[in-house]
Amino acid sequence: MVFVVVPCFNEGAVVRETVEELLAEGVRVVVVDDGSERPAADSCGDLPIDILRHGVNLGQGAALQTGVEFALWAGAQYIIHFDADGQHDPTAIAGIVALLRGGSVDVVLGSRFLDPSLARDVPLGKRLVLRGGILVSWLFSGMLLTDTHNGLRGFTRAAAERVRLTEDGFGHATEILGEIRRAGLRYCEVPVLVRYTEYSKAKGQRLSNSLNVLIDLVLRKLIA
Amino acid sequence: MTKIQIVLMAGVAGLGFMGAGLLGARLVNRLALLGLMSLGLVSIAFPDMTTEVARALGVGRGTDLLLYLWIVTGCFACLLLYARIRRMERKVTLLTREIALRDARETEAVR
Repeated sequence: MVFVVVPCFNEGAVVRETVEELLAEGVRVVVVDDGSERPAADSCGDLPIDILRHGVNLGQGAALQTGVEFALWAGAQYIIHFDADGQHDPTAIAGIVALLRGGSVDVVLGSRFLDPSLARDVPLGKRLVLRGGILVSWLFSGMLLTDTHNGLRGFTRAAAERVRLTEDGFGHATEILGEIRRAGLRYCEVPVLVRYTEYSKAKGQRLSNSLNVLIDLVLRKLIA
Repeated sequence: MTKIQIVLMAGVAGLGFMGAGLLGARLVNRLALLGLMSLGLVSIAFPDMTTEVARALGVGRGTDLLLYLWIVTGCFACLLLYARIRRMERKVTLLTREIALRDARETEAVR
């Protein structure tokens, strides 16, 4: 069974749209409400999905880890990370699962830069920040990828069991790569389209926040 | 004894009492606190002593020596506190996750 883990924090109505699109793909959906002011259960409670709720806001990394642990407990064979804000294309999941099922890779990472024709819509500022992220991830994990901060990822059950996220906040994107390397998992990137809606642009990471994530990563590397 | 010495010594004594209450009954903590307190009181009562120690270490004045030591201990204290806060955050994360998972498993079992 394919489980899709959707971390969300104060996303409001857009989560419901994302979840409905996912349900149309025939997957099981696990929404992790990371302490939103209005619980995600208010907007999605009637849908046939699992909703987990953090009593306090911990960060996206923590929410993903919680969702993955639940999916593993519930018997997931394949686990997909999927952003709540509607930026990902749900139809990409079938391709990712097919790759995992093929058995040549353990982890599939979405990349918005792998196929230049899909990368056209990425705003310039965003592009620069993401290039920075690529550099940082390369320095910390030794893996040179084309897009390190893409929320769409796929794991086989065995791979998901071995990747443990301890970074609560957005440092998890780099941490996941470090874990993949540490565990010696086979991975590949696939081109995915990121839909830059007004909503996801407004909600996206600011440059100042990216720097904060970097400082966190450095500090935590120094002080365990 | 000058007025400032009385004020400072009262302050150190007050800190000692508050510290004794906060640190609890561990012997190591109590001895460390007692040692620090006596050191503080002696150096306030006999200011020339710190200067002598400073000279012996190659520092000009006792106040300078205290400043240097203060900076180093301050930095250490910050790092130790940071590490402790990290551990606490980690516990909060695990606790929050455990509660979320438990609730979800119960809901799943009911279905």
